[in-house]
Amino acid sequence: MTVLVFAAEAGQVHLTSQTRIVAAVLALVFMLMILELIRRDRLQERYSVIWFVAGLGMLAGAAFPGLLEVVASLMGVRNTNVALFSIVLLLLLGLALNFSVIMSRQAAQITRLAQERAIEKALAEKRAGANGNGSSAEETLEPKKERLES
Amino acid sequence: MRTLVFIPAWNEEAALPGVIADVRKAIPEADLLVVDDGSTDATAERAREAGALVASLPFNQGLGAALQTGYLYALRNGYDACAHLDADGQHPPEEVARLLAEVTADRADLVIGSRYHAGAVAASGDYRPTFSRRIGTSVFRFFLTLATRQRFTDTTSGMRAANRRVMALFSQHYSPDFAEIESLQLAVRQGLRVEELPVRMLERAGGSSFLTPLRSAFFIFKGLVVLLVGQFRPRHVETE
Repeated sequence: MTVLVFAAEAGQVHLTSQTRIVAAVLALVFMLMILELIRRDRLQERYSVIWFVAGLGMLAGAAFPGLLEVVASLMGVRNTNVALFSIVLLLLLGLALNFSVIMSRQAAQITRLAQERAIEKALAEKRAGANGNGSSAEETLEPKKERLES
Repeated sequence: MRTLVFIPAWNEEAALPGVIADVRKAIPEADLLVVDDGSTDATAERAREAGALVASLPFNQGLGAALQTGYLYALRNGYDACAHLDADGQHPPEEVARLLAEVTADRADLVIGSRYHAGAVAASGDYRPTFSRRIGTSVFRFFLTLATRQRFTDTTSGMRAANRRVMALFSQHYSPDFAEIESLQLAVRQGLRVEELPVRMLERAGGSSFLTPLRSAFFIFKGLVVLLVGQFRPRHVETE
């Protein structure tokens, strides 16, 4: 939303004070939302940093509209709208990639967890079976030794 | 010398009991583990009834994760050698015993049963690959041979035997998506001795192949990406 507000006005170089106030309020509300999500344990701190930075970016854009023009000219883009959209798009792309990386890591962790549980359960079953009928008891008692090897 | 034979199984209640019985007969000295990959049918119960120990993954994780479970179990429990075969009855256990013999004689770290190897004799009732599978096989064969500079004929074979060095490696690094090919590349790159042995394979006893032409194409594409990336992985990672 804030982005749209920026985009509509940035081309005119001078934002009206009204849009700037709206943008700043939106940015603040956004950051408060992040804080509230953390407070309710719906968002972990380590994943909140990036969103805070985004909120601060919005706030900075609202407070200093000239910033955007500086960035645009640094990028060699004459149209500040194009600069803004490119930046936001790239950031979102990076964020999406970051999520894929996190997802892959968690998928690997879940797999390992499932494997550990399957193995533990199988071993418990084996032990119970060995105690039950007494057969091949010495074979099942020894395995624990090499647990720490890997 | 303690040996483990493990069978990854996903909804194979029909064929699995027969396979377990055959393995017990052909390799009586080995312990038997069925890795039930989140089956929704009675695979785990049938396996227990047939006298196998069952490790059940709580949800379907794919063949790679199931195989890795087997390697991890073998490593943790101090087995000297392990082997795995498919649950659908395609792999005669006598052939698995031959793979295991290579490992226990320390002629190789990892032995692959190849159905395409020149020495593999065809008999009636034996395995006949479909057209799309033949294309995939030759593509992978070419690129894996290129990547490893070692000749492989059957890159996707699910019949393998391995020693502890391989268990240590595969229990840490085993791609869940593209297990068969990447694991071969990885093992060769780690300096392990990988060997192919010609084996007989049979037509599957139950279930049907998951390969349709479109899936095959996607499968091949994914495999090539995996192989390409694998070439740039670090060599000689500390494994044990």
